[in-house]
Amino acid sequence: MAMDELTREFLIESQEGLDRMERCMTDLEARPKDGSLIGEIFRSVHTIKGTTGFLGFKRLEKLAHAGENLLGLLREGKLVADRPIITGLLQLLDGLRSILKTIETESSEGDGEDAELICRLDVLQAPAKALAMQAAQVKAGRSPAPQEQASPQPAAALAQPRPTAAQTPQPVELAPAAAEAESDAAKPRSAQAQAGAAADSTLRVDVTLLNRMMNLVGELVLTRNQVLQATSADPNMTVLSRRLDMVTADLRESVMKARMQPVSNIFSKIPRIVRDLSQGLGRRVRLQVEGQETELDKSLLEAIKDPLTHAVRNSLDHGIELPEARQVAGKNPEGTLKLRASQEGSHVVIEVSDDGAGIAVEKIRAKALERGLISSERASGLGERELLQLIFLPGFSTAASVTNVSGRGVGMDVVRTNVEKIGGKVEIDSWPGKGTTLRMRIPLTLAIIPALIVHSLNQSFALPQGALFELVHIPEDQATAAIEWMEDAPLYRLRGKLLPLVFLDRLLKPGGEHADFAARDNFIAVLDADGRRFGLVVDGLADPEEIVVKPLSAVLKDIGLYSGATVLGNADLALILDPGAIALKAGISMSREEDGARASEEEGEADAAKNMEYLLVEVGGRQAAVPLKDVLRIEQLPLSRIEYIGYRAVLNFEGQLLPVEDTGGVLGEGADYSATAEGSQRQIVVVVCREGQRHVGIAVSHVLDVVAGADLFEAGTRQRTGGVTLLKNRVTGVVDMSAVAPLPAVEEAPAEWAEAGV
Amino acid sequence: MSASTAVKRKEKIADTLVEMCSVRVGQTLFGVPITHILEIVGSARPQPVPLAPRFVGGLVHYRGDVLTTVSLRQLLGLAPKDGPQDILVLESAGGCFGLLVDSVGEVLTVSSADHEPNPSILDDRRKALFAGAYKLKDSLLVMLDPERLEPMQLSQADRSAARS
Repeated sequence: MAMDELTREFLIESQEGLDRMERCMTDLEARPKDGSLIGEIFRSVHTIKGTTGFLGFKRLEKLAHAGENLLGLLREGKLVADRPIITGLLQLLDGLRSILKTIETESSEGDGEDAELICRLDVLQAPAKALAMQAAQVKAGRSPAPQEQASPQPAAALAQPRPTAAQTPQPVELAPAAAEAESDAAKPRSAQAQAGAAADSTLRVDVTLLNRMMNLVGELVLTRNQVLQATSADPNMTVLSRRLDMVTADLRESVMKARMQPVSNIFSKIPRIVRDLSQGLGRRVRLQVEGQETELDKSLLEAIKDPLTHAVRNSLDHGIELPEARQVAGKNPEGTLKLRASQEGSHVVIEVSDDGAGIAVEKIRAKALERGLISSERASGLGERELLQLIFLPGFSTAASVTNVSGRGVGMDVVRTNVEKIGGKVEIDSWPGKGTTLRMRIPLTLAIIPALIVHSLNQSFALPQGALFELVHIPEDQATAAIEWMEDAPLYRLRGKLLPLVFLDRLLKPGGEHADFAARDNFIAVLDADGRRFGLVVDGLADPEEIVVKPLSAVLKDIGLYSGATVLGNADLALILDPGAIALKAGISMSREEDGARASEEEGEADAAKNMEYLLVEVGGRQAAVPLKDVLRIEQLPLSRIEYIGYRAVLNFEGQLLPVEDTGGVLGEGADYSATAEGSQRQIVVVVCREGQRHVGIAVSHVLDVVAGADLFEAGTRQRTGGVTLLKNRVTGVVDMSAVAPLPAVEEAPAEWAEAGV
Repeated sequence: MSASTAVKRKEKIADTLVEMCSVRVGQTLFGVPITHILEIVGSARPQPVPLAPRFVGGLVHYRGDVLTTVSLRQLLGLAPKDGPQDILVLESAGGCFGLLVDSVGEVLTVSSADHEPNPSILDDRRKALFAGAYKLKDSLLVMLDPERLEPMQLSQADRSAARS
């Protein structure tokens, strides 16, 4: 089916035009008199009409022409975009889309009949035509400028003989939150202006080419890791390998960015779905959208389109009640559906929440038992949250009766399968009578993730950093005391709370011979997989690495513990562990912490959730805080590793130069005897942090704890104070990393370094 | 004697010649049609995969991808071999995989006239793996069919065996 370049170009352009039109349509419903919206829609249809005439697509031209006439009247202010007109325009949109689709697949327009639709569009124009004379009279009386917002109102009202149409068109069910609407109104226009200017500097790139580039970059990252490891000992190569490192990182970021698209690309389809469904189901729904600008890899965006649509349908169909029922329950008859996208570290979280009836947990339990999905003893042991997750089980969905009783469950397994296919996670929270929230956690990119390399069974494994909370080192001589046993369940007291432990070697080699854990160093990686918190015990740690995820063959995927494999810097292969699967296999249940968080959230609104976590450190006898999100790692090293360029303390850290901030004089403490061998062996702690694009080190005496900070307000004001936070009820200063001056002449420094023989 | 051969020849009008890569595992000489071989990787050390099915020989890095290997030794119930092994990278309908063998020998050209199906005295497991044998001058070349050695096939076979 060869298609000439011109037609292909036309198809792509028209699709984009229609996408734009669709976005404008939903906005138009909220602001029917917005001239710029109507103008934008008019332009999309007009462009299609113009080009079709040229390419000889008669059917398309006719339909577009009918639409253009109607839009022309709207643009001139002779008609107001009320509900029937918007419905008509949406039908026009569908009509144009389906013809374009036919052209794409069959290279011809097909011989469908659009007469009915064209006729409907003509009828919609009728009132304006019939009243042309009347309008002329009005014009003669007081010539209203059609562009002005205020004056067309009376004219429009006059030109509206249809009794069904509301005189003041306010079908605002779909209006986004007021603030959102404002910003939305501003955005498309400025985006448009940009698009116009940028049109010459952009070009279309085939997605397969981008995919190939991504794969190649993945290979390059691997090679870089190997080069870095191989050359780390050779001072002559330091500068070169550092540059290779930087270029690779930049290249990777650029290619990734090229593949990124804002989630608004899929969110924009939702208002239409909500509109159609809520009308069909007799619901009254207000849609709120947040975080449209969050970006996600294109292939991932495609992959979550269906799950998202499904979730929205479910919310409307089974979540939000009929207006009367809501009124009886004392709720606003208009339900709220919230779409929220945000980036959390290396994940994008997409939430679909409604304030509907919620899910009755007991009914889920009963249904799961009835269908034999779980055993009765397991069912009684499950908490509410875990019971809720049962609706994702494949067997749960099929029965229609489930939806009638429990409120949800059609095809939720499909949602989960689709999201998990791309390495994401789905969970659901529900509060009976208050609503339901479906949360999808999608990785930013499929290809490259940061991971910690751990050792067990004389083999390397990669542990995704996303699930890793902290690391605990238990030296050989303390192992027996530190790891406690309740019968045969190993536990560790982490800041006074018992943490269930999983020994990786025992898990991977059940029934095998195991080295006695008490006779070796142990490391506990504290993991959190979907609310299941546990410690994974391994016998060695290596450096964190950015790993390129390689898919596993089906046979190995079936094991269920590995999410992929990767090639490490030393050219070894490592399996990537899946923390969630390990938790499941080891029988770790979900902790109740989430519920606590929810309660506090309800009290203190969203503030509680936004509170930052801080690393509490002691610097020269004082306490100070470092935002945990900026902490990359904590290094304990001998004082002799710290060197000086002039008066600036620096650290040669993995071949890179790190400025070390020493506000507390930690480095100077041993100054009087640092010249002695004993003094230079003194251990100090350096917290390596991220500050913008660069990394800085902070010298501290001790690391104390990780705690959540609270905002402080200056007395009598609601002004948040900067630089301090409330930690454990003590006012604590936050280390200001931006104050750490950049190193001078960084380019030359490494050469001196090399000569210094470091 | 010669008459019967002549009849046989007439039945199979065109004797097709097949090129087989010979590999050795334990005492036996096996043959894999070279049309299914993508590449031969010498002296590799596959990374073991804990909890994997027994026939999985581990993972190797192959041209930017991670390749699952099948250990022919394990399949035949032989003791695992220490040290590096050779890998045939095979193509099957289910995708690429590696076949771990003790050593790779020369390419032999055999005639389909010399092929005979599996003998009845072979145990069931081997019957499922082998696709008959070619009679060479002084030994037998046991034919392997890549489709039957594909990891997913093997795991399904294992599962149905466990059920019955």
